[in-house]
Amino acid sequence: MANSNLPRRIIKETQRLLSEPAPGISASPSEENMRYFNVMILGPSQSPYEGGVFKLELFLPEEYPMAAPKLGRICLDILKDKWSPALQIRTVLLSIQALLSAPNPDDPLSENIAKHWKANETEAVETAKEWTHLYASGE
Amino acid sequence: MTIGSGGSSIVVPRNFRLLEELERGEKGIGDGTVSYGMDDGDDIYMRSWTGTIIGPHNSVHEGRIYQLKLFCDKDYPEKPPSVRFHSRINMNCVNHETGMTCYSANSNVDELHPCLNIKVSLELFKRYYQDTDLQGFDAVQVVQVESKKFGMLSNWQREYTMEDVLTQLKKDMAAPHNRKLVQPPEGTFF
Repeated sequence: MANSNLPRRIIKETQRLLSEPAPGISASPSEENMRYFNVMILGPSQSPYEGGVFKLELFLPEEYPMAAPKLGRICLDILKDKWSPALQIRTVLLSIQALLSAPNPDDPLSENIAKHWKANETEAVETAKEWTHLYASGE
Repeated sequence: MTIGSGGSSIVVPRNFRLLEELERGEKGIGDGTVSYGMDDGDDIYMRSWTGTIIGPHNSVHEGRIYQLKLFCDKDYPEKPPSVRFHSRINMNCVNHETGMTCYSANSNVDELHPCLNIKVSLELFKRYYQDTDLQGFDAVQVVQVESKKFGMLSNWQREYTMEDVLTQLKKDMAAPHNRKLVQPPEGTFF
């Protein structure tokens, strides 16, 4: 009975994600677990991530929407203290897409990469392009 | 509520469950006598972990620090982690040559954890029970006999965590059948 008590809000959000997906973003719930989504975000054009397909996992905890969706280790304020139940799965995914267009080396997950980004942005962007090609080419 | 159980109908998927465990491990648990952390921050599957147990009072283990390796494969937490002592220890449920805490996840040999060297277990078993006629035994039975010594892994449930495994092992160290066993020198490793 994994999905029998799914809150109406989650059902609504899911329906809308499927019927009106945001450009460059797809999110579909797993069949066995409607709180568990496979997400794909296309790298925004004119970013080092252009051409990349980025796969994410999203999980709606029991407390959702009073608590933020879970998305692995991503440093994003609305996933932590800035979460509000007025936000949605869609807004979170759009924020991540925006983060790909404008990375924030002042609030990093990885100190080393942020350091590199600040010291030599051109080189860091090159590395990001290379890694996008190597690891996110969608094949 | 136990970590990872998330209420009656909610199943926390593997990677989110391991992230919860990671967070909890980073905060520090209880009195600090069991702890664990992830080995490789770059492994997106979060498979390899190191656990530490400080030996319980009123046992030969008191004050000793034991290091363990826990490996959570892709089927964790449906299946238990494989648990291996890195520090040498003499304990009823631990394979004396490998440090492996033995278990049988399933009675199908193919599904046994690849770390578990069945031949080694069989050889050891033969050595422990020299008088027993083992002709009729196969590897599965041998592994299961060893697994019975540490029930948490053989009777694994999805809600169990690495913290539970370490806590249970610590309890077992202080159990009557373990607390007086002669121990190898401190600071030696498998």
